[in-house]
Amino acid sequence: MRLPAQPGERLDRTRPLTFTFEGATVEAFEGDTIASALYAGGRRVFSRSFKYHRPRGLLCCTGSCPNCLMQVDGAPGIRACIEPARAGAVVRAQNVLGSLDRDALAVIGKIGGPFTPVGFYYRTMIRPRWAWPYYEKVLRNLAGLGRVDRHGRRTRRFDTEHRRTQVLVIGGSEGGVTAARAAAAAGEQVVLVDEGLSLELGGLDELGIEVVAPARAIGIYEGGLVPVDAGNVLLRFRAERIVVATGSLDQPLVFPGNDLVGVMLPNGIRRLVREWALRPGERAVVIAPAVEPIVDDLRAAGTEVARVFDLNERPPKEIVARGRKGRLASVRVDGETVACDLLVMSSGRQPAYSLLAQAGARIEYDAATGIFVPRDLPANVEAAGSVAGTSHAVPNLFPASAGKRRFVCLCEDVTTKDVRRAIAEGFDSLELAKRYTTVTMGPCQGRLCHLASVRLYARETGSDEAAIGTTTARPPWSPVTLGLLAGRGHEPVKHTSLHRRHEELGARMMWAGAWRRVHSYGDPAEETRAVHRAVGVIDVSTLGKLVVSGPDAVAFLERLYPNRFVDLKPGRIRYGVLGTDAGRIMDDGTIGRLSEQQLYVTTTSTGAEAVLEWFEWWNAVWRMDVEIVDVTGALAAVNVAGPNARELLGRLTELDVSPDGFRYLDLKEAPVAGTPCLLLRIGFVGELGYEIHCPSPLAEHLWDTLLERGADLGVRPFGLEAQRILRLEKQHIIVGQDTDSESNAIDAGMPWIVKLDKEDFVGKWALEHLQERGPRERLVGFELDGAAVPAEGSQVVVAGRPAGRVTSARWSDELQRSIGLAWVPPALAEEGSRLEIRLNGSLQPAVVRARPFFDPEGTRLRS
Amino acid sequence: MSDLAFLSPSLASAVDGVSPRYRSPLEHALAGAGDALRDLSTLGKLEVRRELDAALEAGAPEVVRIAPNRTLVLCEAEAAPALAAQLGAVDVSAALAGLALSGERLMRRLTDLDLDGLPAMGAVAGIQCTVLRDEDEFRLFFAQEYGDHVAAVVLDAMAGLR
Repeated sequence: MRLPAQPGERLDRTRPLTFTFEGATVEAFEGDTIASALYAGGRRVFSRSFKYHRPRGLLCCTGSCPNCLMQVDGAPGIRACIEPARAGAVVRAQNVLGSLDRDALAVIGKIGGPFTPVGFYYRTMIRPRWAWPYYEKVLRNLAGLGRVDRHGRRTRRFDTEHRRTQVLVIGGSEGGVTAARAAAAAGEQVVLVDEGLSLELGGLDELGIEVVAPARAIGIYEGGLVPVDAGNVLLRFRAERIVVATGSLDQPLVFPGNDLVGVMLPNGIRRLVREWALRPGERAVVIAPAVEPIVDDLRAAGTEVARVFDLNERPPKEIVARGRKGRLASVRVDGETVACDLLVMSSGRQPAYSLLAQAGARIEYDAATGIFVPRDLPANVEAAGSVAGTSHAVPNLFPASAGKRRFVCLCEDVTTKDVRRAIAEGFDSLELAKRYTTVTMGPCQGRLCHLASVRLYARETGSDEAAIGTTTARPPWSPVTLGLLAGRGHEPVKHTSLHRRHEELGARMMWAGAWRRVHSYGDPAEETRAVHRAVGVIDVSTLGKLVVSGPDAVAFLERLYPNRFVDLKPGRIRYGVLGTDAGRIMDDGTIGRLSEQQLYVTTTSTGAEAVLEWFEWWNAVWRMDVEIVDVTGALAAVNVAGPNARELLGRLTELDVSPDGFRYLDLKEAPVAGTPCLLLRIGFVGELGYEIHCPSPLAEHLWDTLLERGADLGVRPFGLEAQRILRLEKQHIIVGQDTDSESNAIDAGMPWIVKLDKEDFVGKWALEHLQERGPRERLVGFELDGAAVPAEGSQVVVAGRPAGRVTSARWSDELQRSIGLAWVPPALAEEGSRLEIRLNGSLQPAVVRARPFFDPEGTRLRS
Repeated sequence: MSDLAFLSPSLASAVDGVSPRYRSPLEHALAGAGDALRDLSTLGKLEVRRELDAALEAGAPEVVRIAPNRTLVLCEAEAAPALAAQLGAVDVSAALAGLALSGERLMRRLTDLDLDGLPAMGAVAGIQCTVLRDEDEFRLFFAQEYGDHVAAVVLDAMAGLR
């Protein structure tokens, strides 16, 4: 039932629309919220409470309380009183079993009371321990704020937009609008953000003020960052000046029956009557400090005002509301009982200071006005209107009366008795009690319960509000859907220049840091066979690549690596292991000398960024005459390996590729297939091989030519899995796979790399110490007796005791054996030592192999 | 001294009448994306690691100062190797992808950089970019390995504004 048209109402009565609630059609007008339309249709119970499933009705109508949370189009926790009614919306009640009017779970509120005091689940549901997951499931179903569809996917699109403005005004209250007008008049760029509750925002755009509504500021972060929830877009404002005009909030009175349906706050009445032309009740009682506007609103709606208690005149000693089936029936005030179906109550208004507190304001209790007010605002933040502390509230209103529950916190169903109990249990500070009782932690975020809980605390502990203080204000100030914060969810990913080629070949891709790399092209064993018998090509563009040049380039690398480089001749390459100050292995790669003063350094794929940072750091510390250029992305790289590699390369270049013309560990610059290239003869996979580095835009051409011209040579692309098998046959380590943050080059079986006779290098002292101390464990190859392959990380067992771990293991088709690398005690690091590896619960015998399984002399590699 | 020719894609030469095909890192991702986005990846790009003196600056087609001793020079692709030698610069043509797009609103969906304070370096689409502005057109230069990613994010943001 609607009242006749009200002046300034939000409704457009010429535009009706319908949506459904629990399957039934609800009629509404444009301008209605879901709650106002339901109210017009006669609905009074809007939700069931969190714990006791008590019926709850409209209370604030301003999005401040939890009483109208519903599920709208599948999204739970929507505040129906501020959610615009949309044609076709599907609205459901949440946290009920059955219906809102007959919720089977209401039995908890009737019989569970004595058994479910605050924190009961910490005490009564902890035994037996194993049953907790089951208890938790039950609790989740009984208490909660709607259901989330576990299989739900992104149904709405959420975007993020970065905005800048000189002045950002939060809140379209009178103070906010005044501040916005003044700033615009002074020629400043102004944006005003409003929740959509303010009516007088027209005409502002003519002044050049941008109005963003309905939208909610989530918080104030450092640097003047204010994220604003504008529905489908998260606006991240950076403002030079922030004006907070969030106004003040009606504070409820705490008395028995204060949660009955029909008990409302003054602003709720105002909105129902003035904005949606609804009659809030038939017969009302008013208990509040400023009663005239409330009485005006009620009379405008034709509600009979049965009795008015002005708190400014005489605070009552007793208030008891009684109901029937959860609906208000009468109120008794100081012995006088008045029958009514509506109780408009308030203890006053408290500034909505949370955003100011987040920005760094100090919050102080003002005994004269009975409210907490913001003080000492940061330089770029201002408070305008009643948030600055112009309101007041009547303190100490806990009318003493025994019996029924008095709710301090409607969100979490916490009563005065619960708070007293928490204090008795020793939770004697407000912050601790907040965490234990969860008062102020529900959907209202303290809007309606913070002041009341501080007062209650002060009274129960014989203290005062000023001494108790406030709890910490944190974002989000307004509830926000996680989808909005998640945004579009793009995760940065790196692709090599050959990515499309791999896709075309049907490659199975895998992550390697931020890179997508080829795991295999379908058959890793077949791929290893091609490398051993013919020729394989693998995309190694992901390798980190640095050009280090300058008069001090060699000296610089001498000081960074344990290796020696002064004797590295131009055109030659050396394998290097980069160590930390503590002598631990950080990365590995090859160092090639392009010229006297230019070196080409490759790193692992995932270590490239860390190595570059490391180099730049030390260059800054040592102030040497060195320039470091990262050319990782500039160059693609393809490793061509196998007995036919020389023949294939020879077809594409005029370079002398004969064994003497292009030796193992030689570095050459020459065109290949018409593209300028850098060629490195190295052999990670153990066969004759060339790593060809070329400008990335030409990589597809090089790759295509290699496959085309090598077709008769049996060329085949191979992926990381084949590479891992091939390198394991040679016992070549992978940093980060076979080593960890504790490993050093000596223990990892590469003592020949460490030149302790060098003058100084990073980690020298530590490596000297390690050398002296002797190894505690060694990295060795092993061969399993059976065909099984142990998982990486499997235990090495010696004489029944754990003695080490497997770092890599694979089946080698070439060797017809299960092989791997493992860390073992030094005593076992000898060729032929026996050990056992735990595999699927049983112990599998294995034997240590100190030399590469395949081509131990390296004749194929050097051929 | 090596002239680091292997860094310069424009030094490719025809073999048996077949010239190496130059593939822009954005070519695949922008196929079918319409003409709202322009691929600038094939431009010549040089990085100078010291202060550029004024005389040289006059000869270079476009100079973008990144830091007092770090400058990005944009030029014709073919001119890159010679100009690199002249300026003592590194040819980063192959390292950087380039993308031109228009619309401040679109940029606001992609970056929190101050669009009135360009050119600048900062994250666009989550990736470190050098960003230039001419009126309503923005040019981005970034590591080419992120080409597919940046193109996908930009196209997605454009879809969100339609």
